[in-house]
Amino acid sequence: MSSEQRFSVGVDVGTECVKAIVVNAGGDVVGRAVVATRGYFQACVHEVLAAALDDAQVAESDLAGVCATGFAASCVTQATMTATETTCHAIGAFRHHPKAMTVINIGGRDPRVIHVDDHGQRTESLTVRRCAVGIGTFLMFTARHLDVHPTRLQELAAGADRPAPISSFCSVFSGSEILERLREGASREEVALGCIHSIAERILEMGGFTAPLVVTGGVPEYFPGVLRALEAQSGMTVSVVPQPLFAGALGAALKVMHGAASA
Amino acid sequence: MARAELQSTAALKGTMAAHFESLRQAVGERHAPIAWCTSVGPVEILRALGFCVFFPENHGAMLGAARKANDTMPRAHALGYSPDICSYLTSDIGAYLSRETPLAAFGFETVPRADVLVFNTNQCRDVRDWFEFYGREWHVPVLGVRSPRALEHVTDGDVDAVAWQIEAMVEPLEGIAGRRLDASALEATVRLSRECSDLWKACLESATHRPAPITFFDAAIHMGPAVVLRGAPEAPAYYKTLLAELRARVKAGVGAVEGEQFRLYWEGMPIWGKLRMFSTLLADLSTAVVVSTYCNSWIFDALDAADPIRSMARASLELFIVGSEEPKERYIREHVERFGVDGILFHDCRTCPNNSNARYGMPRRLSSALGVPALVLDGDVNDLRCFSEEQSKTSVEGFIEQLADFRPAAGGTGRR
Repeated sequence: MSSEQRFSVGVDVGTECVKAIVVNAGGDVVGRAVVATRGYFQACVHEVLAAALDDAQVAESDLAGVCATGFAASCVTQATMTATETTCHAIGAFRHHPKAMTVINIGGRDPRVIHVDDHGQRTESLTVRRCAVGIGTFLMFTARHLDVHPTRLQELAAGADRPAPISSFCSVFSGSEILERLREGASREEVALGCIHSIAERILEMGGFTAPLVVTGGVPEYFPGVLRALEAQSGMTVSVVPQPLFAGALGAALKVMHGAASA
Repeated sequence: MARAELQSTAALKGTMAAHFESLRQAVGERHAPIAWCTSVGPVEILRALGFCVFFPENHGAMLGAARKANDTMPRAHALGYSPDICSYLTSDIGAYLSRETPLAAFGFETVPRADVLVFNTNQCRDVRDWFEFYGREWHVPVLGVRSPRALEHVTDGDVDAVAWQIEAMVEPLEGIAGRRLDASALEATVRLSRECSDLWKACLESATHRPAPITFFDAAIHMGPAVVLRGAPEAPAYYKTLLAELRARVKAGVGAVEGEQFRLYWEGMPIWGKLRMFSTLLADLSTAVVVSTYCNSWIFDALDAADPIRSMARASLELFIVGSEEPKERYIREHVERFGVDGILFHDCRTCPNNSNARYGMPRRLSSALGVPALVLDGDVNDLRCFSEEQSKTSVEGFIEQLADFRPAAGGTGRR
């Protein structure tokens, strides 16, 4: 089979979602799928892989390789290679913004700041301090306190003129803060906006940003208000890659594609 | 990639077992008074007075390495000792309250009861609070040195202040020991400490060779005699054996990590319960941690048998942990350059702020000045609730990938 006919897949096993991307030999996305992360990872991977191949109308026998990334990359038994999230998000972002930049990956688990040079090379990466605040999982947790589905949290926040301050480093303490703000009379909308702002605050505390800032991950996909908060608080222009949820999977697919091309 | 195990490990185990057996006999037969001493405390005075010496930080490390610390710490927390203070302290006191100890393997039912506890606050205040718990518990004296800290450089005034305090504790220690301090015995003990220090230093310096014959993870275990037998003849005897093996490895070109490609500096405390995990992870990434501040902290170049007490004082003050940011940075910089280090791992130890150097901007300053990347790992010396294995593994893997990208020989582009 010639390389033109072959396809590559990236699978990103995140803490909230498992994502898969299929690219052709030119690196164009031809299929994608996402499923919620559940305890039985391999079943999730099998499901998402089948859905992505179906979306691309590609058979497994047409694949040049599968690259796994994410916290449970080791559960992707179909993988022909693995790569770190740092690498994959840098590659995924560089595909859309081929220039030196600071990539901010905000996923379910830990925000990550990745410095990328004008060749697409990572030069430095930083992760958040040990607390869970600043991550997508915290916003899921917030939604429960505010009695709203997570996908509606952003919509709820849009109804506030100002954020209620949520400033704790600890997500458990922040849960208490949410209830305190509500008890003090803040509206649910203000608290929702405050939680979104707190994500931006925790990320900016990581420091060392060089323009332009490009955001990837599930949080910008579902909670775009975080981008506006980042812009407002940093005074810098913040852009987001198309379909940021899939940036890691895209980077993984491109990484295995380049490997296959050079093999 | 495989790790090459050191043959000297058998001799190490024998040396440590003999030490604990001697201590156990002192407990059972009361043939010698027992003193507790902080890891870099004035042990030479104690040995010269005939004390059997117990080092509770070593006990704390054993609790961490055996992954018992998280079982024992809650007993100390319930007594009012915060989870945010030294987890050596809380795991040791918790173990005492639970009557559990890894020393059971050497026949101990609990930690040896002290006749006196001797601290030096050159490392932190926690050691004093730790010893005062036992002082209250057993109604025994707690003596110590209140040390100057955060020094730009060690002055004669600083040395005077510490030397005076060491001299002042001699009389009460003589009272407990029931004998006078013999000057020649003290000189001999300081001489043995210095010999141990010199040999230990030579062992660690062997890692300047490529491939390094020893890593931080080996050294963190093999430093045992330097910690608990400083001033005793068994320590230099052991390090002669270890040094011979390391020199043979250097001569034969045998590395501790097979196929060594990357060389790192470990700054900060070990994460005792995850030592094996890090060792395996990094070996699999063809990476050797070739130098560490922690293991170097048992090198005492200033010790001088001709001037025992003042040299002990100076040695305690010249330790890395007693310095301010500037001398600490100078120290790391010198070692990064001499050991040919590719990257620096900073362990930000949750319960040990005094031995965590990532909190005042040092990683970025050093990284920028040296052109060597740095990674900060959140964790703790003993409390594994403060550590995320998955997050740390991801960070380390990404860090080594980054080093590989910078190095054409490893398949990278060479761009930094």
